[in-house]
Amino acid sequence: MQILISGIIQGVIYALIAYGYNLTFSTSKTINFSLGNVIMLGGVVGFSLYVDRATGQLLGYPYLFPIIGVLVTGVIAGWMVHRFAVAPALKMKSEYTWVLATLAMGIIFKNAVEQIWSTGDYRFPSPLGDDPIRILGAGVYPQEIMAVIVATVIVFSIELFRRKTIYGKAIQAVSEDKDTASLMGIPQEQVVKVSFMMSACIATIGGLMVAPWTFVSATMGSSLGTKAYVVAIIAGLESGFGLIWGGLILGISEFFTARYISSGYKELPGFIILILVILIKPSGLFGKKSIKKV
Amino acid sequence: MRFPKLALMILAVALASCTKKSEDTIKVGVYGPFTGGSAPMGVSMRNGVQVAIDEINAAGGVLGKKISMVDRDDEAKNERGGQIMLELLDKEKVVAVLGPINTGVADASTQYANTKKVPLIINVSAGAKVNELFKGSPENFVFRIAANDDIQSRVIVNEALKLGFKKPALLCDDTNYGQNGREKMEAVLKEKGVRPVYIGKFKIKDSDMSAQLQEARAAKADVLLVYGIGPELAAVSNSMARLGWKVDMIGSWTLSMSNYITNAGKNGNGTKMPQTFIEASAKSDKQKKFIADYNAKFKESPIASAVSAAQGYDSMYLLKLAIEQAQSLDGSKIRMALEDLAVPYEGITGSYTKPFSSSDHEAVKEANVMLGMVKDGIVVDSTTQKK
Repeated sequence: MQILISGIIQGVIYALIAYGYNLTFSTSKTINFSLGNVIMLGGVVGFSLYVDRATGQLLGYPYLFPIIGVLVTGVIAGWMVHRFAVAPALKMKSEYTWVLATLAMGIIFKNAVEQIWSTGDYRFPSPLGDDPIRILGAGVYPQEIMAVIVATVIVFSIELFRRKTIYGKAIQAVSEDKDTASLMGIPQEQVVKVSFMMSACIATIGGLMVAPWTFVSATMGSSLGTKAYVVAIIAGLESGFGLIWGGLILGISEFFTARYISSGYKELPGFIILILVILIKPSGLFGKKSIKKV
Repeated sequence: MRFPKLALMILAVALASCTKKSEDTIKVGVYGPFTGGSAPMGVSMRNGVQVAIDEINAAGGVLGKKISMVDRDDEAKNERGGQIMLELLDKEKVVAVLGPINTGVADASTQYANTKKVPLIINVSAGAKVNELFKGSPENFVFRIAANDDIQSRVIVNEALKLGFKKPALLCDDTNYGQNGREKMEAVLKEKGVRPVYIGKFKIKDSDMSAQLQEARAAKADVLLVYGIGPELAAVSNSMARLGWKVDMIGSWTLSMSNYITNAGKNGNGTKMPQTFIEASAKSDKQKKFIADYNAKFKESPIASAVSAAQGYDSMYLLKLAIEQAQSLDGSKIRMALEDLAVPYEGITGSYTKPFSSSDHEAVKEANVMLGMVKDGIVVDSTTQKK
């Protein structure tokens, strides 16, 4: 039971971050490889606004304070990644410049945090307390329940937004066909920019959510970012809700492997599934088949 | 033509000041992790060495010269260790080297001390090979003032058996350090006729160990013996709280690191580990003065890793005594002096009379090691305090 619950929680977090990849991929057809370090920014900024680093005590501000802080950070980080890494690369009509450019942004974020903030690991006390509650004999932290709820709400509300509102439809239109969308009067660059900000906000909120159990450090995001990327590929980069299933598959498989095979092989099943998916169904388990006419 | 001339002049001045500096100071190399999860140990060690250097310089230095420290951050990366040793020995021409912390880094870099014939006093790394090096090079330049893994694993296992536990579970990180510790603990257990009921491992940066702990609980373990560094050991304690599983945890000395104590919070209470120095139970005037000096200089109380600071301090003093006895800065002469120190040394981690010999380069023996216990955010001496 414990492993199942731990796996589900981990999986939902993966799915949330994977959703961040999905948002920007659908509008710009680029993958934001700096997302892992944007997660870290969320954790670090949230920590700085909530906890005193020297003593580990709370600063006494309400939890709303770090929430607003990480949202602002997300908007700025998303804008920066778009403005300095993705937009120039897209303008150059170069196929893959954005790969290096977004990776570089991520490294810049990480090094900046190491320089300005610190390279240590710090504990982020959860606003909901650090005592686990028992559910069917398994220990769950209140923070984890909150993280799962927050992640689900974010994914559902953005999916609704994309499907039901006029702005959402504009995003859909851009993701289907950029050029036609701009002929129809949709400011496509604007849409791409907003999608980057939204995606970065998702990542920073994700960082704030996981911080109480991963510790806050300049490297906290790298493994989460990679795993979420694996989820995005397994589920299919363009599938909205499919990402949740992808996240659950990876999260649960990791914990079961650690428990029943060996903790040394924890990461193995995820990557085996990844390779199988790429070999058998490259568009992802829940991805739609795309026909590309050349 | 003006510019090159100016540049040449600057270069000349710079060169002149360089050579001048190296003539009247003695350079001592210090390396360790000053960033990352091991940083509390590295920084405390460097600060401890600095306290000693400042004292020595204030008292007139060694052989009439001041000591200066050349410090490098190895980031706990094995390959950086080797690069740094070569830089310190070839480019900086240091007289001796103090450090490092991480076992992997030490394994990748200690050989250069022997090939270049410059003494290295290991002041923290517990897993580094020291006496084993005699086989390959009878003129061994590697010394240690720290409780090595043989001693530590013995103390850990003995404590567990003394408390009456019969079914230990071993949980160690997957670095050279953790796996070396696991091997040593297994060997001591075997010697005592006890079989561990579970052996598990975890990776650096893992934050949820519940899978391994469940396995250990299912195997009916009655005590958890751990080997790793602060952040991950804290994750072990926190995961135990999550499972609601309460058994004693005894482990490597790194359980006294600040990032274990703060990250584990109340879940860390009662955890025990071998220590060569416990800040909260400092008795001698020398120990008290050291803590006061350290706090005054670095504005840090309690010290992030008091053991590392104390061993760093002592390593510098042992080097000073050896240089004075050798009356020379030659590596081989310092080595011979270290192997035959005439004056006893009263240090922070204990009193040392002839700490090294020509066949034994380990200063710390089992008798020097105390048992520490985490209690409400600090480490206390658990040999005097009942749990």
